[in-house]
Amino acid sequence: MSPWKVCVPGERLCSTEVCKAGSGTYIRHSFIFASLAGYVVKKNEGEELPVISVARETEAQLLPDVNAIVTCKVTSINPRFAKVHILYVGSTPLKNKFRGTIRKEDVRATEKDKVEIYKCFRPGDIVLAKVISLGDVQSNYLLTTAENELGVVVAHSEAGVQMVPISWCEMQCPRTHAKEFRKVARVQPEYLMP
Amino acid sequence: MSSTKERVGCVVLPGDVLTCGSELPEGKRDKLICGPGLRRDVDDVVVCKSGILRHKEPNLYWVDSQQTRYVPAKGEGVIGIVTAKSGDVFKVDIGGSELATLSYLAFEGATKRNRPNVQVGDLVYSQLIIANKDMEPELVCIDSCGRANGMGVFGAGGLLFKVSLGLVRKLLLPQSEVIQDLDSMFPFEMVVGMNGRIWVKSRSTQQTLIVANLLESCEHMTTAQRRDVLRRLSQNCL
Repeated sequence: MSPWKVCVPGERLCSTEVCKAGSGTYIRHSFIFASLAGYVVKKNEGEELPVISVARETEAQLLPDVNAIVTCKVTSINPRFAKVHILYVGSTPLKNKFRGTIRKEDVRATEKDKVEIYKCFRPGDIVLAKVISLGDVQSNYLLTTAENELGVVVAHSEAGVQMVPISWCEMQCPRTHAKEFRKVARVQPEYLMP
Repeated sequence: MSSTKERVGCVVLPGDVLTCGSELPEGKRDKLICGPGLRRDVDDVVVCKSGILRHKEPNLYWVDSQQTRYVPAKGEGVIGIVTAKSGDVFKVDIGGSELATLSYLAFEGATKRNRPNVQVGDLVYSQLIIANKDMEPELVCIDSCGRANGMGVFGAGGLLFKVSLGLVRKLLLPQSEVIQDLDSMFPFEMVVGMNGRIWVKSRSTQQTLIVANLLESCEHMTTAQRRDVLRRLSQNCL
C-alpha cells in the first residue's frame, strides 16, 4: 500500500469531477480543499465517484452531529438549564468529553414552561439525549430530551443506590423506598439487560 | 413497634436501629411515619441524627436534634443580609453554604420600572422557594398571591444575633412560653428566622440588650429557672 499523503488546511486536493468531498474537506470554486491537517484517505464506495476525506488519526474521531443520539452525564444544574458531559455518540465511546447543555424548554415536549429542572435531572444522572445544534464557538452542544425514548436511564438516589423507574416521571430507590422525580427514558425492551 | 415506643424520650445516636422488621409477623405491622433524623433502610428504621426521640400520636416519630449550622429547606422563612446586587438579583447571605438569590421582582408592587428600595447591608425576611443540595437557594418576599405578608426589608435599629436552631423552633411554637414570659416584662419587636437568626428592638439600647441576652440564655434553662431570672430582673429594673 502506498504511504498516505499528508495534507495541511487549505491544500487543494482535487477537483469535484474526480472525487466527492468527505469529512475534513470543503468545496470552493469546484475544487476540493482540506480543512484539517492529517492524512488524505480516498475510499471507493462502489458509486460513480470515490470519496476523499482527511483523517486526523488512524481511527476516525466520531463527532456528535445534529440529530445524533448521545449518552451524557449531568454535571451541574441551574433553574434554567442542565450542563452535561457527552460520553458516547450512539454506541461508540468518545476519547474526549464534549460539553452539552439541555435547556429548560427542551426537556419535555409538553408543558414546556412548567418544567422544574430539579424534578427532571440531578447531578450524576446518565441521560440519553439528541443533539439539536452544534452551537457556535463558545457555547456547547445544545441537546434535547423531548421524546419518550430520551431522558434519564441511570440515576442514583440520595442513599446512593441505583433507582428503579416506576413511571415516566418518577423513580424509586429499592432500599429506602423513597420516590424521586426524574424525566425517565422509555428504553426499548430489547436493550434492557435481563 | 414496641421497642420504638420504649425509646421515646431517650437519647439516640446515628446508626441505632429502631425496629427490626423481620421480628414482627406480617399482619401486625402498623404504619410508622419517619420524621427528620430517621430513615428507612429496607425493613428497618435507622437513626441518622443524634438527639432525643420524640413521638406524636398516632404514628409519627422524629429526632429532636441540636445544631447551629443551617441547611436551607424549601418553605422556611429566614432572615438574610443583602451582600451584593448583580444584574437583576440580590445576593443574600442566609447562613447556608451558598449565597441565595433574591430577584428584584419578588417584592410586593415591584415592576421593572419600580425597583424596590433595598441596599447592600439591609436585613430581609423572606421565604425559600428553591432549596436543595444541587442548586443555589432562591428567595422571594411575596407569597403565592403576590402579597408581602410581613416579608421584606426591616431593621432600622435593633440587634441581630445568632442562636441554635432548636431554640428558634421552640420560639416559633404557637403558644411559646418564652415569648409570653418576656411579653410581661417590657414591649419589644422581634423577628425570628429559621436559619437561627433573631432580630430584636426595644425602646432603649439597654432593654434591647437585656432581651437579646435573655433569649440566648433561655435555651439551656428550665421553665422554673427562667421565671426566676425574669422575676429578679423585673425587681431590679422596674
